[in-house]
Amino acid sequence: MTASDNNLGKGIGGKIWNLFGSLKFTLFTLFSLAIVSIIGTVIQQNQPQEFYVREYGTWASLILRLGLEDMYHAPWFTVLLICLIINIIVCTIDRFPQKWKATLEGRVDVDVKFIKNLLNNHTLIINEEPQSARERVINILSKRRYRIKESNHAEGLSIYAHKGMIGRFGSDVTHISLLLILLGAIIGSIFGFKDFGAFYEGEVTTIPITDWRINIDRSFYGIPLPLIDRQKIPSDIQLKLDKFWIDYYETGQTKQYNSILTLSDGGREVIKGKQIWVNAPLHYKGITFYQSSYGIAYDRVREASFSLKDSKTQKTVVEPFMVNWNMPFHIPNINYDIKVVGFVSDFAFDATTKTIYAKSTEHNNPAIQVEIYKNGKPISRTWLFYNYADYRTIIPDTNYELVFNGYKGIVYTGLSINSDPATSIVWIGSSLMVVGFLMAFFVFHKRIWVLIRRNSSETAVHFGGMINKNKFTFEKEFLEIVDSMRDIKK
Amino acid sequence: MKVIMSLLFFDMAFWFYLATMLLYFGYWITKREWLGQASTVLAIISTFAISMMLIYRTKEAGHAPFSNLYESMAFFVWVMSIAYLIMEFRYKIRILGVFVMAVAFIAMFATSQLSYRFQDIQPLNPALQSIWFELHVFSAFIGYAGFGIAFALAIMYLIKARFEDRKTPNVLIDRLPSSNMLDELSYKSVAWGFAFFTLGALILGAVWANKAWGTYWSWDPKETWSLITWFVYAAYLHARVTRGWRGKKAAYIAIFGFLSTIFLYWGVSFVLPGLHAYASQ
Ligand code: HEM
Repeated sequence: MTASDNNLGKGIGGKIWNLFGSLKFTLFTLFSLAIVSIIGTVIQQNQPQEFYVREYGTWASLILRLGLEDMYHAPWFTVLLICLIINIIVCTIDRFPQKWKATLEGRVDVDVKFIKNLLNNHTLIINEEPQSARERVINILSKRRYRIKESNHAEGLSIYAHKGMIGRFGSDVTHISLLLILLGAIIGSIFGFKDFGAFYEGEVTTIPITDWRINIDRSFYGIPLPLIDRQKIPSDIQLKLDKFWIDYYETGQTKQYNSILTLSDGGREVIKGKQIWVNAPLHYKGITFYQSSYGIAYDRVREASFSLKDSKTQKTVVEPFMVNWNMPFHIPNINYDIKVVGFVSDFAFDATTKTIYAKSTEHNNPAIQVEIYKNGKPISRTWLFYNYADYRTIIPDTNYELVFNGYKGIVYTGLSINSDPATSIVWIGSSLMVVGFLMAFFVFHKRIWVLIRRNSSETAVHFGGMINKNKFTFEKEFLEIVDSMRDIKK
Repeated sequence: MKVIMSLLFFDMAFWFYLATMLLYFGYWITKREWLGQASTVLAIISTFAISMMLIYRTKEAGHAPFSNLYESMAFFVWVMSIAYLIMEFRYKIRILGVFVMAVAFIAMFATSQLSYRFQDIQPLNPALQSIWFELHVFSAFIGYAGFGIAFALAIMYLIKARFEDRKTPNVLIDRLPSSNMLDELSYKSVAWGFAFFTLGALILGAVWANKAWGTYWSWDPKETWSLITWFVYAAYLHARVTRGWRGKKAAYIAIFGFLSTIFLYWGVSFVLPGLHAYASQ
């Protein structure tokens, strides 16, 4: 009996219950999820709005309205997932009790008609007392690890033997494991956080964490309104990057990215000089530090190279010299000092806020900011462009032209800093799912009924067998059992 | 010039698989017992050749042979061959080889068409240097092979069922096992495939991603396509217990499932960008 045969199927509530208890609805949900996910891989996800306008023109507004640009967080993806969850729960509640009962209570006192209706059935006529036939049947079946029940009734002596019962519950274990995994994912997305940071050698950084805080700054018509908010707050944990380096293969391909980290917590050093690399993160107090990328700093340099030209003749008058970041440098032979005070890897200017910023972390348009001093007094502060040497920078009151020849960047390590308190639930769910599969796919519920009847001088032994799936595999075993009953020589 | 043994064995295997496919085909048409036995022997030789290719590849590269499309395709053919041979010995149905070996040969052919830059031995990039990656691919490919065999069986099922419905005798079709048998074997292949695919592609993949990138799921196109494929096969399993969906409709789902698997395996690498893009290495 399934939900649809249920007498619940009357009113509206019953109709909804039946819908969620039906396997056709499962198929619908699974196919819908598949199609929706395909859309998510065809339309690029989480791009800025302009991207969709550029790529899809008039369709962009539809895409944005339906949330297709963030498919897996769109309401209807969530709705489909919820449908799946309710579907599983309803299905299980609906079917499990009957399945449990039917599986546990295999009928024992069957008649010939019952046996003849089974897919596998066979009758042997033997010249043997029913009692000794019974013993042999039990012997054969218990050797094959069947569990046996017996009954002596009007039709004769009947034996019910079965094994692999737990196979029937594989699907339930699988379904429960799926719910567990989803539960873990939900808890993780609520209580965990994902962060990313660029770290420079030698620098100490306070690690931000995301936490739930009661926020009472808000009010509603003057009444303070405490709200629970997720906020990024600094933790007591400080991270210092001791060293970052890259290993290469002989062919020049990257072999490994490595960082050495030192952590202190509440001012005390708790982890000293621990090396991490891709696939080998560092765990501390539920926070995990992953080696995830590296790059050249976009907002600073180690040192920069300059030279001086005569602005009229364009002849080099001072050969290239290196200037360290943020350290005054005395230019050889002349009475000026220079200091490197700013850098952006991809120059951009925001006209409204009048600020200069790096448009990207790529080194597309490197620009450097220098201060020039005469006799220790600042006289000029200016930006120089690596790509645009035509932009001349002449030191005030001189005919020296300052030329920006290049720079040595600082490498940073990119670390993902994540916390997910529910991964263990996901892993438990996953393991349980594997157990569920083993049960559902590799353990079969095999059932055999044997009815022994005395007819005048002979004994009729009726065999009937059933398996919940894999009928053809069972046929062989069933015939073997019948044959071993036939073969025994007295 | 140094001979790269793995390439040599691959070429040998290629011709062996072609011959195996043709021999099974000949057996189907003529029903000569000796041709059938020869097909099985040749299937074993082909499997041996591809095994040698994988062994040499592992030795030459110094890591498990899963690091690019070329190696993993050879591994796919290997798993499928072993699974098929086990099936042939267990169920004693040789005709299945016609379709399964056709899939194996098509896979060999597709692999041989890859440009040299994919056939080349690549050192492992940092993300791939993990035991979880190896377990992930190993198990996922058993899944792929199960799906591949189920695909071959589903096609046979549809052909056979059509002729059974019409009750028109046909020498070739009559030699195929009954549609019930094909349906059951197809289910078994999906069951094996689904279990290993879930374990390998989804679970071990998640464990690995969690180690390497700090998150077990990131909706990367490859991950998403694994999930899509998984939904399709979950639908197959449930269709088989749903009135009105058993039989032909279920067989179509098994075919769609394998098309999805092919896209997951080849399409995603070439068409969609992502972490797993073997092709963009
Ligand atoms: C993605 C989600 C799902 C997965 C991975 C899943 C997995 C499974 C598996 C592995 C089986 C065993 C199949 C077999 O033995 O051939 C199964 C059986 C079954 N599932 Fe699901 N399932 C899912 C969703 C659902 C939903 C939503 C329902 C609700 C109607 C459902 C109802 C059933 C039923 C009735 C059976 C067969 C009954 C039995 O053998 O006990 N499943 N499922």
